[in-house]
Amino acid sequence: MAGPLALLLVLGLAGLSFLMRAAGSLLPPLPPSVTQRTSGLAPALLAALVAIQLTGRNGLVHLDVKLPAVLLAAALAAFRAPFIVCVIAGALVAALLRALFHLS
Amino acid sequence: MTAMPAVRSTHRILAAASPIAIAVFVFGVSFGVLAIAAHLPAWSVVLMSALVFAGSAQFAALGVVAAGGGVLTAVLAGALLNLRFVATGIAIAGSLPGGRLLRALLAQLSIDESYAMSARAGPPGRPDGRTLLITGALLYGVWVVGTLIGAVLGPVLGDPKRLGLDAAFPAGFVALLWPMLGGRHAIRCAVAGVAVALALAPVTPPGVPLAGAAIVGLWLAR
Repeated sequence: MAGPLALLLVLGLAGLSFLMRAAGSLLPPLPPSVTQRTSGLAPALLAALVAIQLTGRNGLVHLDVKLPAVLLAAALAAFRAPFIVCVIAGALVAALLRALFHLS
Repeated sequence: MTAMPAVRSTHRILAAASPIAIAVFVFGVSFGVLAIAAHLPAWSVVLMSALVFAGSAQFAALGVVAAGGGVLTAVLAGALLNLRFVATGIAIAGSLPGGRLLRALLAQLSIDESYAMSARAGPPGRPDGRTLLITGALLYGVWVVGTLIGAVLGPVLGDPKRLGLDAAFPAGFVALLWPMLGGRHAIRCAVAGVAVALALAPVTPPGVPLAGAAIVGLWLAR
């Protein structure tokens, strides 16, 4: 990614994150019914990110090494493995499948 | 034997936070490596960790960039994940010292881990401000230094696809997601997020499926 675009990415994300963290101190109190709704954001977004990374533009599952990587990471997470173990295991299984079977 | 001090000592707070600091450091190193593999300039990777200081949001933005998405989509994905900081910011605002401006600045040290530690250290509904600031400052330091080390190591490692680093993103998203699926509401939000994103993906420009998932997540949360 070119420098100016990378700077835009960093400053855009930094600015919005700053405002969100500062909102509690700067704004008058919001009702809990509003703030509690943000608890649904993270699961919905992360699940959507997984789905988008595993599918092609046609909306169907794209069969490549990412699928076994995700399945392994999910299985490890289910057994309470730390985040970094899931990530490395996912990358390793993808690298192995590519090296051994020349998968995409 | 002297009486228990009313304020937890800095030393004890740091000792309690040290296992988390190690985990955040390793996460920072891996973020730096993956960001270099996604062809971000090294300076921007370290700057991002220094200014954003939010692992999952940075990871999500990077995942979008690595998959070929645009800058706006990446900012959207990261910023939406950080919306939960509005809720934690409100929870800690009363526990921070100083006027509005200082509190807004100090609130930048809140991440999931420092907030959890401060919530545990204080009485219910009143997170401990000192714990948040000390833990947050420690984690901020190791996060930025970890990212810097990862960004330096990144180019040494070689071809990212051969190492399976592109698969690290969906694997990481699943690992972040899994512990959140504790209750029926979270599972409902996750399933609906997937459904909306996949329904929108073939017919809308990138970014819209994520925004749709975010809206349905807000809608279904309780």
